Amino acid sequence: MISKIRPAIIEKADGYIPLLLSFTIITFFVGLYFSLIESPADYIQGDSMRIMYIHVPSAWFSLMIYTLIALSSVFWFILRNPLLSLAGRSLAPIGAMFTFLALITGSIWGKPTWGTWWAWDARLTSMLILFFLYLAYILLWHSISNKDNASKIAAALGIIGFINIPIIKFSVDWWNTLHQPATISKLSTPSIDVSMLIPLLIMTLAFGLFLLSLFIIRIRILSLELRINRKMTY
Amino acid sequence: MFKNLLLRDLRLAYYSSSNFIYIGSFFILVTILIPFVINTETEGLKSVFQGLIWVGLALALLLALDRIFSSDFDDGNLDIILRMEVSYEKIYLSKLLSVWITYCLPIVIIVPLISTAFNLTINETIFVTINLFCGSFGMAATAIGINALLMGLKRMIYLKSIIVIPLYIPFMIFGVEQGSWPVLSALSMIAVVVASFATSYGLRLYGE
Repeated sequence: MISKIRPAIIEKADGYIPLLLSFTIITFFVGLYFSLIESPADYIQGDSMRIMYIHVPSAWFSLMIYTLIALSSVFWFILRNPLLSLAGRSLAPIGAMFTFLALITGSIWGKPTWGTWWAWDARLTSMLILFFLYLAYILLWHSISNKDNASKIAAALGIIGFINIPIIKFSVDWWNTLHQPATISKLSTPSIDVSMLIPLLIMTLAFGLFLLSLFIIRIRILSLELRINRKMTY
Repeated sequence: MFKNLLLRDLRLAYYSSSNFIYIGSFFILVTILIPFVINTETEGLKSVFQGLIWVGLALALLLALDRIFSSDFDDGNLDIILRMEVSYEKIYLSKLLSVWITYCLPIVIIVPLISTAFNLTINETIFVTINLFCGSFGMAATAIGINALLMGLKRMIYLKSIIVIPLYIPFMIFGVEQGSWPVLSALSMIAVVVASFATSYGLRLYGE
């Protein structure tokens, strides 16, 4: 299974890493300039709401990455391409990092706004569970030494976890709610001012570029690792 | 064949350390930890008990994660079962019934017996027991599915628990709510169906 890997596409993508990284840094600086200096402070929350420009993109991407893992698991079942399981494996720690970032910035934001570091509110709790779902996926990969078997089991687990997310979301929502409802649910009429939307979108772009470059670096390392292991076993 | 598999599992459980006496004593001991850690005079005793029933059930099932399919896989019995031309669905159904009878039935029976000691009225006891009955099938099915996927991992009960506990959270949330047995039954049905796919996938994976 592993021997079917053709790393040509990874080698090709590897050449773009410096370009991607420099784009990421530039976008981050532009986004930080807009979010910290250009954009106005919130009229109730003051400057503390500026953490939103970190909090919201990382929360979006943490959800998106789990969706990507589930998609790669589903397509792994159809195509049996080892690159797909490598993709899931390399995305998981990045997603866990974004989830952790969203939780930490959320609790820093919550202290001046809600007056508490942590509340057992629906969204916070489901993000915490999402973090542990990521952790379970990572630990699964970590504890199975035969990576062929690990990819088979991790694909099943990725799908089961993805089925679980809406169920947890629904039950936790029903359980308790304190968080403000989603602000940018539909792009046509967002209930956020343009002066705040622009820095948010730039920061989202920066996070996306960051995710992409980390992903390419990690998937390249993992594929090299697989090739080394293959050479050692033969 | 289905009956033989079921009886074999039940006999194995009866003559081993997952006998109903062990499970029942374990569960009662978990619940009587509450009066020691909180003030017994308060009304809180009741609500903590209602929550701890589910935690006790979850703990009993988590401790079973090292044996449901794993013990058969370790001593080679699983190979023989898979060679007997039984469909995976029958293996799964017999496992579901045997796990439920071994680990959940003692708890469902004990809860109404000890609930008076925790200030529950008869009405509340009935609700709690019905909830427990409806939710425990799904929790047993979840444990079976994850164990089937991970039966090759020996002595990895913490990893299996980390994977299973997030799947138990919906059951916990609705379990402590009175009159939420329809939701719990729906959750159980979802879990039973998804776990059947996971189990047959795991059996095919390790049976080769």
